[in-house]
Amino acid sequence: MTSAPTQSAPVEPDPTPAGDPPLQRILIATGRVARHAGLPVVIALLVGAVVLLATGNDPIAVYGRLATEAFGTPSRINATLAATTPILFTAIAAAFAYRAGVFTVGVEGSFVLGGLTAAVIGANMGGFPPVVAVILPLLGATLAGGLVAAVPAVLRAVWSVDEVVTTLMFNFIVAGLAGWAVQSFFQERGQANSATAYVAENAELPALAPPGQTSWALIIGLLLLIGYAVWMRRSTLGFEFRAVGSAPRFSTAQGLRVRTVLLTALLGAGLIGGLGGGSHALGIVHRYSEGFSASFGFTGIAIALLARFNPIGILVGAILFGALNAAGATVQLFINLPVQLIDILEGTVMIFAVAVFAFPRLSKRWAARSERRRP
Amino acid sequence: MIDAIIASALTLSVPLVLAALGGAIHRRAGVVNIGLEAHMLTGALFGAVVSGATGNWALGALAGLFAGAVTGGLMSLLITRLKGNEIIVGLGFNIVVFGVIGYVLRAGFGVSGTLQIEGLERLPRLDIPGVADVPVLGALISGKDPLFWLCIVLVPVLAWLLKNSRWGVRLRATGASETASSSLGLRTLDIRDGAGIIAGALAALGGVALSLGTVGLFNENMTAGRGYVALAAFYFGRSRPLPTALACVLFGFFDALQIRLQTVGGFSADIISTLPYIAVVVVLALTGIREYSRSARKLS
Amino acid sequence: MSSTSTASVPGSGPAAIRCRIGARGVSRSFGPVRANVDVTLSVRPGTVHAVVGENGAGKSTLMRILYGLDQPDSGHVVIDDEEIALTSPRAAIARRIGLVQQELAIIPELSLLENLVLGEEPVRFGRIDWATALRRAEELSASVGVDIDWKAGAALTSIAIQQQVEILRLVYRGADVLILDEPTAVLAPAQAEELLRLLSSLRDAGRTVIFISHKLDEVVGVADHITVLRSGRTITEIARGEIDREGLAALIVGDSEVAERSVSRGDPGETVLVVEGVSAKDDRAVLRLDDVSFEVRSGEILGVAAVAGNGQEELAEVLIGIRGAASGDIRLDGASIGRASIRKRRLAGLGYVSADRKHEGLALGLSLADNSIATPALHGLARGGWLGPRRVAERVKEVLDRAAVRYGSSSDPASSLSGGNQQRVVLGRETIGNPRVLVASQPTRGVDVRGIGYIHELLRRARDEGAAIVLFSEELDELRELSDRIVVLHRGQVAGMLPGEASRSEIGALMLGNHSPEDDNPDADVPDDPTPGHPRSPRGGETV
Repeated sequence: MTSAPTQSAPVEPDPTPAGDPPLQRILIATGRVARHAGLPVVIALLVGAVVLLATGNDPIAVYGRLATEAFGTPSRINATLAATTPILFTAIAAAFAYRAGVFTVGVEGSFVLGGLTAAVIGANMGGFPPVVAVILPLLGATLAGGLVAAVPAVLRAVWSVDEVVTTLMFNFIVAGLAGWAVQSFFQERGQANSATAYVAENAELPALAPPGQTSWALIIGLLLLIGYAVWMRRSTLGFEFRAVGSAPRFSTAQGLRVRTVLLTALLGAGLIGGLGGGSHALGIVHRYSEGFSASFGFTGIAIALLARFNPIGILVGAILFGALNAAGATVQLFINLPVQLIDILEGTVMIFAVAVFAFPRLSKRWAARSERRRP
Repeated sequence: MIDAIIASALTLSVPLVLAALGGAIHRRAGVVNIGLEAHMLTGALFGAVVSGATGNWALGALAGLFAGAVTGGLMSLLITRLKGNEIIVGLGFNIVVFGVIGYVLRAGFGVSGTLQIEGLERLPRLDIPGVADVPVLGALISGKDPLFWLCIVLVPVLAWLLKNSRWGVRLRATGASETASSSLGLRTLDIRDGAGIIAGALAALGGVALSLGTVGLFNENMTAGRGYVALAAFYFGRSRPLPTALACVLFGFFDALQIRLQTVGGFSADIISTLPYIAVVVVLALTGIREYSRSARKLS
Repeated sequence: MSSTSTASVPGSGPAAIRCRIGARGVSRSFGPVRANVDVTLSVRPGTVHAVVGENGAGKSTLMRILYGLDQPDSGHVVIDDEEIALTSPRAAIARRIGLVQQELAIIPELSLLENLVLGEEPVRFGRIDWATALRRAEELSASVGVDIDWKAGAALTSIAIQQQVEILRLVYRGADVLILDEPTAVLAPAQAEELLRLLSSLRDAGRTVIFISHKLDEVVGVADHITVLRSGRTITEIARGEIDREGLAALIVGDSEVAERSVSRGDPGETVLVVEGVSAKDDRAVLRLDDVSFEVRSGEILGVAAVAGNGQEELAEVLIGIRGAASGDIRLDGASIGRASIRKRRLAGLGYVSADRKHEGLALGLSLADNSIATPALHGLARGGWLGPRRVAERVKEVLDRAAVRYGSSSDPASSLSGGNQQRVVLGRETIGNPRVLVASQPTRGVDVRGIGYIHELLRRARDEGAAIVLFSEELDELRELSDRIVVLHRGQVAGMLPGEASRSEIGALMLGNHSPEDDNPDADVPDDPTPGHPRSPRGGETV
C-alpha cells in the first residue's frame, strides 16, 4: 500500500502503416477505427435503447430524430460542428499524452482554466488590433492550461509519481480556484450566476457562417489535429513518444529522452487543453461562466480511446460526439426526451472503448473444458 | 460555536467515511474506484424512494445498500471480466449513472433534478440523555444518526477483518500481487468483485446518509463531488480504515468550516473545497519522492 | 522398492509405486521449435531427481507439463504409475504436486507467515488462528533445519529466505512432490548450499524432489538420479555415483559439440574502456559488484564469465548506465562516463545488446523501421527536430542489410520475426555507427545454431571495425571462441583474467572461486566450493 499503481494508457495505439501512400493509409486507419469503435458505439446505442424502451419511447424514432437534428440541415450541421470544436481539442490533448503511455485525466482542468484566462484577457482587449486581441487571450489560455499540468508533469517525469490521481485532483483544484477567482475578481455585475464579462468584440473568434456558432476555433482545432498527425509521424520527439508509449524499458535502455517525453506529454496535453478552453471562450460562449465545460475533458478521453489516438479517428469521433451533444440540446424541443440520454450514450461508449472482448480466450477455455470431459 | 462546528463536521463526514471505507477496501484489493460518486448517488436515490414508499428509514437504507451493491458489482465486472481500465470505467460509469438517474427523474418522475418524496422517513437522531447538554462531548456523540454509529463500528471491524480474517488476508494479497495470488489458487477476480460490491454498497450508504440525513429529499447533484473527496480520503489515509476515516473527518471539518465562513462571510468556500485534493497531491508527491530516492534503477 | 512389472495397474497402493511422477513419450512443439521429443522421465518416490541439459534442451517445458501448466502434443504424464492427463495446475495440486518457479510467488506486502498460510489459513471462530499458524510454520522450518523469522515482512527478507518460504509453503499445502526450476540460479553460494541441504532433508522426510540445475557440482552431489536432456530428447538416466562431473558434462553437450569450434582473435589497439574499482548494488541493496577493474582495447573482445548471480548482470547494467554504480568510475576514451546518463554514454559511442531482448533490446510492438533507428543517434537523421523520411528509410535499410535480417516489410512489427532475426536487428542497430564500445549481454540466448553463427560473425565484424567489445555469455565455449581475453567474476569480484585460449577447466575453476592455476598461492585451498560434501574437482562451474 505504499505506492499508487502505475497506470499505462488504457489501450494500445495501432501500428502506423509506414510505407503506403497517404490515401491508402487513411483508408486503413479509417477501417481500424471503425473496427475498434464499432462495438462500443453499438453497445451504447443498445443501452440507450433499453433506457428509451423502459420509458416508453421508440428508440428507432429517437435515434432517427437525433440524426436529423445533428445533420438534417446546414444550420444543424453548423451546430454539430460548433459542438465538435471543444471536444476536438480535448481529444487531441488526451491522445497526445496517451501516445507516450502517459495517462492524464487532467485535460478538463486545463480546459477550464484556459477558458477563464482567455475570457478575462479577452474582456480587456477592447482597442487592441484584432489579431493581437485574439492571440493574446489564446496565448494566455494555452499557458494557463500548461500551468494546470505542470505539477503532475514534474512529479511524473522526475520522481515517477503516478499521474492519474494527481491530474484528477488538479481538475477539482482548478474548479475551486476558478470559482473563487470569478467570484472574487471577475464577477460581472448584474449576473445571477457566477460569470465573467463578455469578451471584447475584436477578441472574438469570428463565426464561419453566421448566424451559426461554428467559428474559427474549429479551424484552429483542425490545424492542431494536422499538426498532431504530422508531428507524431515526422518529428524526432514524436518518434520518441511512440517508443516510450509502446516500450518504456526499451526506450530507457536505448537512451531515448524518456523524461523529456513524459514531461512534454503531460505539459503538452495541458497546453492543448488550455488552448481548447481559450478557443471555446473566444469562439462560442464569449465569456466564462459556471459550467463552462460540460465535461469536455472527459469526452475527449473517450474520443481519444475510441480512435486509438489516430488523427482521423479523433476527427470522426469528435464529430460523432459533437453531433450527439448538438442534437441532444435541441431534440427536447420536439420530443419529451431528457438530454441525459446523451450522457448515457457517451459514458457507455467510454466504458466499452477500453473493454477487451476476449471471445477467443473464452472459446479456448470452453475447448479445454470439453477436452477434460473426454474420457 | 465550537459545538456547532463539531456536530456539523461529524455529520458532514458520515457520507465521506462510508464511501471512503468502501473505496479503501476496493483499493486494498487492487482497484482504484473512481465510481464512488455514482454509487453514492444511486444509494441516495434508492434510499429516498424506498423510504418514501415504505415510510421506514431502515428499509430505505437497505434498499440503497443493495442498489449500490448492484452498481458496484456491475462496475467491477466491467473491470475484472472485460479488463476495462479502472479509471476509464469509473469515469464512464459516473457519467452513465448520472445520465440514467437524470433521465429517469425527468422521464419517470417528471421532475427536473429534485425529487421531493412524501412520507419519506429521515434517519432518526439518537439523543443520549445526560450527555446531550455536556459541551463538546454532547456534540461529539449525541444527536447522531444510526449511520454515524455504523461508521464508528465499521472502522475497527474493517481493520480487524483486514488483518485477521481469511477474507482480509486474501484481499490484501490480491491487491499486492495478483499474479502471485492467483498462482496460489486464490480467485482473485472474485475477490476483486467482492470488494467492488462492498465499495458500491458502502458508498451507497453514504448516499443514503445524504438523502435521508439532514435534508430528506433527493437531488441529482446532491453528492457534489463527495465521491472524489472520498477518493482523496483513502489516498490520504493510505487505504487503512482509521487514517482514512480520520481524513474524512478532517475533510468534513473543512466543509463545516466553509459553511460557517459562508454565513460569516469573508472567505471563499471554493478555496476550502480544494484542500482535500491539494492534500492528496502533497501526500502522493512525498511518498513518490521518498520511494524514488530509495530505488537503485533509475530512468535516465 | 518393490516393482510392478507394468505401469498403470489400477489400485496399486503407494507402497508399490515405482514412478511417483514422470513422463512417457511426451512431445511438445511451439511452432517449428520442438521443445520436447518423446521424452521419458521416471522419478521414484522419496528421491531427489535432477534434470540437466543445455539451455533450450527442453527442461522447463517438461517441468511445466509435469505441473499441468502446459499440455503435451502427444504422450502422457505419469503419476503414481498411472498415465493421466494433467490439464491444469489445480489437477497437479490435487495430486500433491508443487512447483517452485524462478519467479517466486511471494507477496512482499505480507509477512512471511501470511505468505505461508495464504489460501489455506487455519481458522478458528471465523478468525485466522495465528497461534496455530505460527506453530505449524515453526514446526515446518524446524523439521528441515532452517531458521526463519516468520513475523518479518516479506519485502525485508532475502531472496534465499523467500525461496525457502515458497518451498515450505508447498509442503504446508500438502505437496509431496516438489518441482524446482533452477532454484540455485539466483542464490549466493552459501545460500545455495543451505537450499541443497533443505532439499536433502525434504527427501529424508520421504518427499520427492525434482530440480533443474546448471551447476553440475550440485547435481552430482545431491541428486539420487539424473536425467539428461539434449535437444528436447531424453539421453539417459544415471544413478548417483555412476558418473562424475566431466562425464555428465560430456553427456549434456553431446559428442559433436565437444570439438573446438573455429576461433578467431582480434588485433587489439589502444585502450578504449577503463573500468575502475566499480561497485554496485542490486534492487534489494545487496552488494553485487565489488571493486571491479579492467580495461578493454579497441579491436578486442573481452569475455565476462561467471556463474549466474555473481555480478555479471549488474556489471552489464552499470556499463550502459541502467544501474548506477555505488562507487568507482568508468572512462571511455579517457573521459569519465561513470555518472553519465544512458543517453550521454550512447552518444559517446557505447552500444548495448541487452540480455532481455523482449523488453530492453526491442520494442516488439513497433515496426522494424522504428526499431532500427531507436537510438540517440536518431538526431543524425533529423533536421531541426524533424525526421527526413528518405534519410530514415536509408538508415533502416542499412541497419537491416548490415545484419542480413530476413524480413517482409520494414513496417512489420518486430514481434513478427524469429528470435534469431530479432537479435540481428538489435546487432545491426547497435553496430551501425561504429561504436567505440559494444556491451553485448547474452547475445545468442534463445537463438538457434545457425543464427548463433551469424551473430558471432556480426560481433567479430564490429571488433574488426575497431569496437571494444565486452561480451557476457553463459556459454563458456562461446566466450572461448570469441574472446581475446576472459575476465572471470566470482561473488562480484574479479577472480582472474585469462587469455581467450584458456581451457574450460581453467575458467571453471575461477568461476567457482578457486585461484587460477598460474598464481601459485598456498592458500588456494580455502574452502569456497559451493557444493557441500563433494570433493572438489579440477574442472568447475557452469559447464553448459
